[in-house]
Amino acid sequence: MRHLFWIVGLLIVTAGVAGAQNPSYYIRWVNYTRANGFPPGEVYCVTVDGNRVWAGTGHGLVLLEDGRVKKIFTTKDGLPGMAVMSVAVDKQTGAVWIGTFGGLSRYSGGQFTSYTNLSSGLANDLVYGVAMQGRYVWVATTAGVNRLDPYTGTWEIFNESNAPFEEPWAYGISVGAEKVYFAVWGGGVLSYDLANHYWKPYTDPDGEMELVLYRNQGLIHNIVSSVSWNPDTKTFWASTYFGLSSYDGRNWHNYLKKDSGLPSNFINAVQSRGDEVWACTQKGLSELNTKTNTWVTYRPDAKSGRGDILVSRADGSKHQMDSATTLAHNYILNLDFQGDDIWVATANGLSHGMRQTAKQSLPTQRDKPAPNGDREK
Amino acid sequence: MLLWQPGVAAALQRRDSDAGNTLPRSKYLSPVAMQLSPDGRWLYIACEDSDQVLAVDARTQQVTRRLRVGQMPRGIALSPDGNTLYVSNENSDDVTEIDAQTFQTRQTVPVGWGPVGLTTDRSGKILYVANTLGDDISVVNLQTGRELKRLQAGHYPEYVALSRDGSRVYVANLLARIASADEPPVSELTIIDTKSETVAARVNVPGVIQMRHIAELPASAGGYLLIPFMRPKNLNPLVQIQQGWYLTHGMAVIRPAANAADGPGKYHVAEVLLDDIDRYYADGFGVAVTPNGRWALVTASGANVVSVINTAKLRRLLLSQPPARQQELANRLDAASHFVAERLPVGRNPTDIVTSSDGRFAYIADRMDDTVSVVDMETMQVASTIDLGGPKEISRQRSGERLFFDASHCYQGQMACATCHPHEGLSDGLAWSLETPQLGRDVVENRTLFSIDGTSPFKWNGKNPNLQTQDGPRTAMYIFRSQGFSSTEVNDLVTYLLALRLPRNPHLAANGQLTDAQARGREIFFRDKTMDGKLIPPLDRCYTCHSPLTHYTSRVSMDVGTATPDDTIQAFDVPQLEGVATRPPYLHNGEALELEDIWTKFNPDDKHGITSDLNKAQLNDLIEFLKIL
Repeated sequence: MRHLFWIVGLLIVTAGVAGAQNPSYYIRWVNYTRANGFPPGEVYCVTVDGNRVWAGTGHGLVLLEDGRVKKIFTTKDGLPGMAVMSVAVDKQTGAVWIGTFGGLSRYSGGQFTSYTNLSSGLANDLVYGVAMQGRYVWVATTAGVNRLDPYTGTWEIFNESNAPFEEPWAYGISVGAEKVYFAVWGGGVLSYDLANHYWKPYTDPDGEMELVLYRNQGLIHNIVSSVSWNPDTKTFWASTYFGLSSYDGRNWHNYLKKDSGLPSNFINAVQSRGDEVWACTQKGLSELNTKTNTWVTYRPDAKSGRGDILVSRADGSKHQMDSATTLAHNYILNLDFQGDDIWVATANGLSHGMRQTAKQSLPTQRDKPAPNGDREK
Repeated sequence: MLLWQPGVAAALQRRDSDAGNTLPRSKYLSPVAMQLSPDGRWLYIACEDSDQVLAVDARTQQVTRRLRVGQMPRGIALSPDGNTLYVSNENSDDVTEIDAQTFQTRQTVPVGWGPVGLTTDRSGKILYVANTLGDDISVVNLQTGRELKRLQAGHYPEYVALSRDGSRVYVANLLARIASADEPPVSELTIIDTKSETVAARVNVPGVIQMRHIAELPASAGGYLLIPFMRPKNLNPLVQIQQGWYLTHGMAVIRPAANAADGPGKYHVAEVLLDDIDRYYADGFGVAVTPNGRWALVTASGANVVSVINTAKLRRLLLSQPPARQQELANRLDAASHFVAERLPVGRNPTDIVTSSDGRFAYIADRMDDTVSVVDMETMQVASTIDLGGPKEISRQRSGERLFFDASHCYQGQMACATCHPHEGLSDGLAWSLETPQLGRDVVENRTLFSIDGTSPFKWNGKNPNLQTQDGPRTAMYIFRSQGFSSTEVNDLVTYLLALRLPRNPHLAANGQLTDAQARGREIFFRDKTMDGKLIPPLDRCYTCHSPLTHYTSRVSMDVGTATPDDTIQAFDVPQLEGVATRPPYLHNGEALELEDIWTKFNPDDKHGITSDLNKAQLNDLIEFLKIL
């Protein structure tokens, strides 16, 4: 019995060590580009809805089902604009809300119903973000933010006249249970308290300076490209063109390339869930595990065409691997989750990343400490 | 603000109740919706004017019970086990749940705005309610008595039906989608997937409006959906009436998709006319099929007739046509003779129709007679008439109401007043080229008949000083193309029209309290200075032409810069603004599809009031105020 106890104990420890030595990574990628019927160029947004994936591109809205392109919707189908910047699915009604550079659209039952600045209460036709809050639809535009109540047809507008918008250019929205967060280009982050109807701004305490004078004293920069509320950690994350910030209601934490695993301070979007924070940068896709403080950055290697995976640990050590398949491009615009998989919007198509478990994720070619400095694509 | 006081707000909160109405409430029953108990023993009838539900013993044909429900009950549904009735109350925005055994009210469930058609799902746990004014469907959890959500429907969803397999709820929308006035109308059949409780498909039914009840044939008879409609020819200058030039009446025959989750492309839509070339059967309303699917029955509420359709012949006709000919079939006035077996005269203004489970009898609600006609399907004749106990003396108002729905004064019975003003006075939302000496010019938008008392003159050019002129010689000459109404009939009709009232405006809170946006919008409407402090000339102020003291119209004709080269005049009769939010499109020719368009697209020179100084938020506020009128 004693021997059995020691054997079992040894097996548990060994498995733990093996797990720690062989974490899982996204090393299997399937890309959707012009080569396989996807629209060319940038993918601005991606939204997962069960087995459906909606991707917004400069040439319309793409619907994928079960991993295949099912339909590409354009203005001929009723979209108000060809450049699709954001998609939100109303889980209650099944309606899909689409933000384009020609207005807002609702896709339901095979029909588009569009709303423009001239024919509705929409603040502006340049729609960057759309999100659902119960039955309400929040819309981020270049001229402020709308909240639409589909039951009454009422459009509320929030801009510099009735909310602390230093700039009216709203880029992104993230909805929490109690607050809605807005990314404002040049205006920081704004939160709207749903119960008390109260706005609160979060701006860079360094003002307009590009240097970070006071680390972790506030938002790292006012040019905020996106915001993501994480209900698990009760933290919002803000991506800027000059670094990444998080705020848990009490403490700020800022991340810069020079002293984190970020490959670039220019971040187009951030998404966070559980212990994961994903930064979509101009030089690759980075995942931060906030529990272990480990960064993993994915990007294509321009020379080899294979995937470059750089792991940066809390103790300062780095570890580089590669993979046979990789992202479609290193300029990452956005991301969404499908269970354990991720769908990534890049400058040259849509990438579907699949996490591989420990054994399969052993490096295929190299396993050596990464050199200092970045490598350019 | 002197022009707006709480009392004014409350007075504008129109409720069709004895307390607020200066004209006597109709004492008639006006049966409009029916359900038959599964055993065929009881006929349940919603009576919209008496605010009652009746239970009629089908064997004895006697009314045995009466129960008062909410205001203007217009729809009725039965739970799958037959033990519970649900009645929609259009004017009180709620549903009454009734124990069918005790005939007592169990609870009243608030739903959306203007509920009419309703159905439970197969389990009896979920109720779907069509909200006409909200353009949506309430999904109600019957166990908790609470609304779960609202699904956006088409325009003015009125009647619903559960598919035979329970996988879908079909929603027929009365009005076409709001679209450019020079395009043919397209109506929508909204399909809800009951498993996901979401909208699965929005099926286009082209060229028609006024889809109402829905019946589904059994699979053995083809499984088609049958939906009566009216086909308007509003894009034609109305220079003649014969051969269906104004409009025709027919039925959509839709083959459903195989699966509930399928999109609209999987539904096949065909259309046939129920009219004959020399006789029209105006305003199809109710439809029912016999259990074996052999017969379909459609009520023509303007013709006082039930058309009995041989579904096998109908199916043969449709299947025998190649696709190109099927489109043509939608306009063939000789098609009905192939499949209509009988035209049975019934009571006045037949609305809903139900068939017994053995297929032996059909029951038709004769709304304007307060009776139910009983058709024996074996003999194909009206076997009896059930008197529901309404007043026997016909008032002038009631007489006028009967005329409103009666197409017999029109050439070959092509239309009644209700044909273009459905739902008792609604605008059909279409622009028509009426009575013009210059072909194709002066295309004008239809107008509401709700609360027009005190808004004379009438007609788009303001030339008719009163309703007697509007409905007398003008109607006879240009609309009915016949001798029209007698002078007594005209006066009765006018008595009825003056009694029509706007439904309760759901945008305004019941206590008259304005939201912040509505209050700001009110300030803008009643302002006399621009945003930068300049005085606005009196004629350019909103309230000058839209005076709140006279129903928001000063009853004059004004040039607001909206005349087009197709118009022969520049100044148009100022319309009243009460209920404006419920009747798009706007302007005299309907070219402003939304309220916003009036100022964003069609007021470049500030001729329609000074609005160029308003920013988007202020314009939104103005619209929020207009919505509460």
